[in-house]
Amino acid sequence: MAFVSKIRRQTDYNTFPSSVPIVIDNGASYFRIGWAGETEPRVVFRNIVQRPRHKATGETVTIVGDLDPAMMKYFDCTRSGPRSPFDSNVVYQFEIMEYILDFAFDRLGADGSGIDHPILITESACNPVQSRSKMAELLFETYGVPAVAFGVDAAFSYKYNQLHGICKKDGIVLCPGFTTTHAIPFVDGEPIYTGSCRTNIGGYHITDYLKQLLSLKYPFHSSRFTWEKAEDLKLEHCYIAPNYASEVRLFQEGTKEAEEKTRYWQLPWIPPPTEVPPSEEEVARKAAYREKQGQRLRDMAEAKRLTKINESENHLQSLRFLLKQLDQVEEDDIPSFLSDTGYASRQELESTFSKVIQSLRKARGEPKNEPDESEENTDSFNNEKYPLLNVPDDMLTPEQLKEKKKQLFLKTTTEGRQRARQKRNEEELQKERKHQLEEERRRENPEFYLEEMRVQYKEVLERVEQKKRLKTNGNSTNGNHKSGNVGRGERLSAAQRERMRLLTTAAFDRGKGEDTFGAKDEDWHLYKLMSKDHDDDDEQLDSDEAELARLSSRLQEIDPTFVQKLEEDSSQISGEVPRVRPLTEEDYKIVIGIERFRCPEILFHPNLVGIDQVGLDEMAGVSIRRLPHDEKELEERLTSSILMTGGCSLVPGMKERLECGIRMIRPCGSPIHVVQAMDPVLDAWRGASAFAADLNFLGNAFSKMDYYEKGEDWLRRYQIRYNTL
Amino acid sequence: MEGELVEADIVVAARLSFKKIQSYEKYPKGQTRGRWKHLKQILQAENFPDYPPDLPNYSNIESPPSTQPCKRICDITGYEAPYVDPRTNLRYANTHVFKTVRSLSADQVHQYLSIRNAAVVLK
Repeated sequence: MAFVSKIRRQTDYNTFPSSVPIVIDNGASYFRIGWAGETEPRVVFRNIVQRPRHKATGETVTIVGDLDPAMMKYFDCTRSGPRSPFDSNVVYQFEIMEYILDFAFDRLGADGSGIDHPILITESACNPVQSRSKMAELLFETYGVPAVAFGVDAAFSYKYNQLHGICKKDGIVLCPGFTTTHAIPFVDGEPIYTGSCRTNIGGYHITDYLKQLLSLKYPFHSSRFTWEKAEDLKLEHCYIAPNYASEVRLFQEGTKEAEEKTRYWQLPWIPPPTEVPPSEEEVARKAAYREKQGQRLRDMAEAKRLTKINESENHLQSLRFLLKQLDQVEEDDIPSFLSDTGYASRQELESTFSKVIQSLRKARGEPKNEPDESEENTDSFNNEKYPLLNVPDDMLTPEQLKEKKKQLFLKTTTEGRQRARQKRNEEELQKERKHQLEEERRRENPEFYLEEMRVQYKEVLERVEQKKRLKTNGNSTNGNHKSGNVGRGERLSAAQRERMRLLTTAAFDRGKGEDTFGAKDEDWHLYKLMSKDHDDDDEQLDSDEAELARLSSRLQEIDPTFVQKLEEDSSQISGEVPRVRPLTEEDYKIVIGIERFRCPEILFHPNLVGIDQVGLDEMAGVSIRRLPHDEKELEERLTSSILMTGGCSLVPGMKERLECGIRMIRPCGSPIHVVQAMDPVLDAWRGASAFAADLNFLGNAFSKMDYYEKGEDWLRRYQIRYNTL
Repeated sequence: MEGELVEADIVVAARLSFKKIQSYEKYPKGQTRGRWKHLKQILQAENFPDYPPDLPNYSNIESPPSTQPCKRICDITGYEAPYVDPRTNLRYANTHVFKTVRSLSADQVHQYLSIRNAAVVLK
């Protein structure tokens, strides 16, 4: 693979004399460093830095390049993600750049004091002087580098391929890189930057596009589509369609060819445990166990009941004995006799006695025949229980009067309770009767009855919904405002509008002649209307809702086809996996069909992702147009040697498409020859390495002294001559 | 530090002998944020209009807009899209896709639009 990191520490740093330059290809995605004259860079890693906290010691550490997931557990990465020193294709964060250079030199094996080698480092075409000078400063001041040279990666790649006879001295290099794509024309082996052009699109945008499309297509799995995963998918599956329109038509028509071109990514999916119906044995065992438990509970209850009966009987016995004794005691001695037993009077003793009898009866399970009793002989019972009620007041002592009041109160409450009970019974009877009536009607004509029920249900449902709509905003049916919030621009409901009108008129009515407000009773009604939650129909709504619930439950009982109407929101369809149905393996299958060529298509049509610039094929034309020249022959020489380099030119189908695209914009019959670089990823470094190995290299580099003496304007115009290669 | 970490040798040492100024001296703790100009600010500071226009610089080598008619593809499926939904401004290919378009939430619509830089962001 083209993108492989190599971060093993080198040991032979000290074997290189200080005249051997160090060559750095500082790309936006990968950083490559090695020795001039060699064919392979020594150290390669992704150009990113992470500064997580080390969990054990709590200090911030610096990790350059990809972090091994196995080591992740030692670090706390929550506060800092991976950071790049690049903004687009220009280095701007020199702190990050410094960490990267630290790591690179360290891996190259540097251990002396300072880096005592000239350095050739790549930069973007027409790098702003600010970035260039900061880089030079960093290398001079921090690392003590004796000399520095800057070159353009695409140019080095072209020169390297020219050296190997792939392309000629006149030509165009097209370099779709990580964040930008360049087209640079070469005349007589020198890049002409006046003829170059740059479109701000590259491999990063392709990956990002793929990632966003997939996470929008599968919102349920969006967390799976990390940037790294999307990058892997891109490298593995993306290709460039020879003709986007015809390729997409294949997929639109669902042809067999399209099916073959579709790729699937099966996410790990664990089938939910299937429920095996329990065996008969198990069912029997469970039933037996339940029965046993039930029996135990029943036994316990029975035992408890028996002890209670026993206790009550004993109590009763003692009370009866006490009463009998009391009969024998003289009237005057009663208080002293009772003081030992804890009862205050004979009445109290009697009431306790009757209570115990009642509880005993209840415990034994005998029917409580009190109500009949009370109904049958209410009068006699009342006379017995409330003896003072029928006695005129003037015949009673104050104490007895008090007692009478108490009895009166007791009597009215018991009577009230009885009445309530009666009413309840009646209601229940009525309900039962109604139910029976309905049942009868159903039996007579089930079809008709069902229809009637349905109509009724619909009516009530409509009524309830109407109320709800009025209450919320009136526009919940609109479908557009699912959120239901009343925003600033939203209209108020009729009720709310009316309330606002009342408030404003009330506010402005003041001071108009005589204030007669409150003279009539109706005036006060206004406040009720004004109050925020004047919901007169609340009760009505509640009753409607209850009716609705009753109807729907009834319908559910008798109509198998009945489906309760749910809230509107739940009927929403979208790509989301519905929760109600159990997830299947299909739901975990990511289909990558059109995305395979839709994503790389943005290299040719940047406006698909909103970048209004020419695509890769047109760039060649723009480049030729910009180049100051007046011979037609040069144009032909240029188009007959077009080199593709840079990571994105590895996408399959690139060469054919590019050739086809350039042919369309060039005059008929012009020679067009597109070639791919030998190694689009590493050729830039190799070219730079060959360039730095030349004896004339130092003539192109500048020292710290030059840097400080010659000034910024010189640095701005600084440009190496590639023809030494 | 754990043995495994030391062995993997992934952490950059805080002190490196070949450096004239160590990072911790240059960037003391807590003063690191917001010191770097972004590309936009760098370009502004370069004052490109002051230089002759035939001198290539970072901004004038930028590609011009395309002269070819803009390709319109369906935001959701990638098919060629003859229609635009006036409510969401999404491009769509056929009635089937249109149904999907109308079922999208406002957030999803916004995301689809922002992919092609067409989302309206109210500030």
